[in-house]
Amino acid sequence: MPLCPTAWISEAADELGEIISPLGPENQEAIVASPSDTAQVAAVLSFAKKRKLTVNPAGGGTKQQWGRGGVPQIYLSLARLNRVIEHPWQDLTCSVQAGCIWTNLQRVLAIQGQFVALDPLFPKRATVGGILAANDSGTLRHRYGSLRDLVIGMTLVLADGTIVKAGGKVVKNVAGYDLPKLLTGSLGTLAVITQANFRLHSLPRYTQVFMVAAPHVLRFQALLNEIRASHLITQALYVSVSEQQTQLTIALDAHPEAHQDAILRDMIQREGLVLEEASADGWAVLREALFVPEATVLRISTLPIQVCQFLDYLQRTNQRIDIRSVSLAIGLHWVAMRGSAEKIRELVCELRSNRDYRGLTVSVLQAGSGVEIEAFDLPDSTLDVMRAIKAQFDADNILNPGKYFS
Amino acid sequence: MASLLTLALISELRGIVGERGLITAANQLQTYECDGLTAFRIPPLAVLLPESTKQVQGILRICDRERIPFVGRGAGTGLSGGALPSENSLVISLARMNRILNIDIPNQQITVQPGVINANVTAAVSPQGYFYAPDPSSQTVCSIGGNIAENAGGAHCLKYGFTVTHILELTVVLPNGDIATFGSKTLDTPGYDLSGVFVGSEGTLGIATEATLRIVRKPETIQVILAAFDTISSAAQSVSDVIASGLLPAAMEIMDRLSIEAAEISVHPNYPSCEALLLIELDGPEVEVNLQMTSVIEICKKNAAWETRLAVDEKARFLVWKGRKAAFAAAGRLSPNYIVQDGVIPRTSLPTVLQQLNAMAAKEGLRVTNVFHAGDGNLHPIVLYDRDNPGEEERAIDLSLRILEVCVQAGGSITGEHGVGREKQCSMSYMFADPDLETMQRVRRAFDPLNLANPEKIFPTPRLCGERSRGAYAPHPIETSGIAEVF
Repeated sequence: MPLCPTAWISEAADELGEIISPLGPENQEAIVASPSDTAQVAAVLSFAKKRKLTVNPAGGGTKQQWGRGGVPQIYLSLARLNRVIEHPWQDLTCSVQAGCIWTNLQRVLAIQGQFVALDPLFPKRATVGGILAANDSGTLRHRYGSLRDLVIGMTLVLADGTIVKAGGKVVKNVAGYDLPKLLTGSLGTLAVITQANFRLHSLPRYTQVFMVAAPHVLRFQALLNEIRASHLITQALYVSVSEQQTQLTIALDAHPEAHQDAILRDMIQREGLVLEEASADGWAVLREALFVPEATVLRISTLPIQVCQFLDYLQRTNQRIDIRSVSLAIGLHWVAMRGSAEKIRELVCELRSNRDYRGLTVSVLQAGSGVEIEAFDLPDSTLDVMRAIKAQFDADNILNPGKYFS
Repeated sequence: MASLLTLALISELRGIVGERGLITAANQLQTYECDGLTAFRIPPLAVLLPESTKQVQGILRICDRERIPFVGRGAGTGLSGGALPSENSLVISLARMNRILNIDIPNQQITVQPGVINANVTAAVSPQGYFYAPDPSSQTVCSIGGNIAENAGGAHCLKYGFTVTHILELTVVLPNGDIATFGSKTLDTPGYDLSGVFVGSEGTLGIATEATLRIVRKPETIQVILAAFDTISSAAQSVSDVIASGLLPAAMEIMDRLSIEAAEISVHPNYPSCEALLLIELDGPEVEVNLQMTSVIEICKKNAAWETRLAVDEKARFLVWKGRKAAFAAAGRLSPNYIVQDGVIPRTSLPTVLQQLNAMAAKEGLRVTNVFHAGDGNLHPIVLYDRDNPGEEERAIDLSLRILEVCVQAGGSITGEHGVGREKQCSMSYMFADPDLETMQRVRRAFDPLNLANPEKIFPTPRLCGERSRGAYAPHPIETSGIAEVF
């Protein structure tokens, strides 16, 4: 085959110059655009809009497999927009470009003893924009809420190249619609996030992490309920289940003189279990280990009081699938499944039609090889509105087409 | 006007809500011609008082078919004219949908109809040791539906977040009459965060008819400190120092001399007589609160607080908060008329912005008293005036809007919790450029293509605001050179 670039690629080279580069010899149908500021992102999108080219906004590339998406014509890398713009620490806020790696942002904020109170997946590679687009969160959610509670403003570029400022730089702000919330979790289908403003918290000072092992997950539910209803300042509370072990992790963050560890120890003892000290990075290790290449990884929501019951059901329901999970006590589960693709598909379908668990939702973040299944089970009553929003923001369907809707 | 509402339509509406649910008599309609912002009044065509989601659906189907605008209304306590009727509109009052539908303590949630009064939510879960955190000053009379429309805040949102933080699931009747469920009783519903954008949309995207709210465990201990200062600046500095020390109080409020005096006359909270009163509430485990309170008191004293008074028991705390929450109403003791503003500034610019506001008020010859959520920089300047003095109302409105401009210049917002409504829609252009506002309109069109839901609110219109002369947006060279376009 002759190496002849398609017409639009040479046109892109003329219009966008050094912003773009070829993807590589194996793909002659797509380009990489690496803008260095919001205006250049706008230029790329204006070009894409004009030529009706599909665009895949990308941060660190750690969650690109979430949701279905076709092969785009333009990979829009935000990697060069990587600066922390400002950190007015006395206002407990910050502004950061979307391509900034999560740990790089946290390192800057930590200088003043602050942080964005979120512990997302792959923080050393994932970017601010990607984490926002995917609405990822972790154990800190138990105490601080999710991204929608932390993001206070954004700079966006719409599919037609329009640059838009949404929200603001102050924590309290109800002027107009809260577009940052709409964009959080939109998987790059509505606009490209180029900058975000966050509210910050002081770094926890007294964190103590404990773990409890049990022979069976059902042993934990009463304990979870009791801890959630207690006055313990709980920073993290999650259950992890694998073939090897079933354990509960609790992180407390109260002043040592409050002796909350002793209160916790009493609770655990009353359940006939043993409290041990644990390492602080257990969460990240356990959760990231779920995302091995061959696994199908699901994000599942249940009611808080059904967490352990659900995990038990999951273990019993199909014993030929290897299942590992980490589950927040507030009812969010990340579940990795390995085994026959067909059996996994059946299990996901069964979960989606299960009515024993009120509010149960199952999203396929990563499909293992041969597992053919819809990534998201969007609620029927909202589909029309979601499609209408997508049509308003991206009428030509150039931004991540197919991620949410076919 | 009456021509829009034919006898046939009236009869159709009556068929949905019954005789008791329909108000058309002019004298009764007066109740609904304004909300808490009484400077604006427009009588509606009729008022409907539905009692179920189905009835709301029936009404909106008719509005959609007949192209009749509608305005949702909660308790009518809003301060920005959000529930002000539009010309030729129907008002849909949710006051009769006031039942608590389900209390689920183990999952820490409660499901209510929109007409339920905010304080009644806490009352319903208080015996089990829980509370509903958003606490606007009007919480004893305002409704959850109105709180959702405005994304209401309150003194305690510094620590606990706003209404939106506490909304898990909403049943919404969309402007075309379809019924949708936004969010879920569980977390992270797949797809776009529709409840996130619906909350705070001021009734322009539909009508919420049911809400599942997150409730919060009551803290083990609560303590409130009152600290008296000679200047607002030293009180404000104390707030900054508390934040800098890494503490996150449940609330931090400042009142100035005028508002202290007004509160004193009104509800007798027995505040110290001073130029600036700082209220700080700490909550959490008892030992920790004790330790934190010691450092808070040290910070206040370092900033020259000449009296610090601790309120620990419930009765004492109640009185402290009663005085603070009565501040708006108490302004009526100072002046026949007043306007409450709601600007937000970065916390650190408090001293400079307050100086600016005082200078502006002095120049205008008007008194402005200040009560504010100092912890999150949300100012509530209260502009006092007398409508009977010719021209004074116009000058007061003008001053209150110029105050918002100062807030935006300081890097803040025109509204922290009261909403834009009718009052501040022209001020939206201080904060947002045309492309920003046009992007919000895209959301609106997705929900309400016919523009029937509370039209002529939030967004500036040429008819009401004239041609825009200001804007935050300056075109980038890439636009002027034609590489990118702004639509």
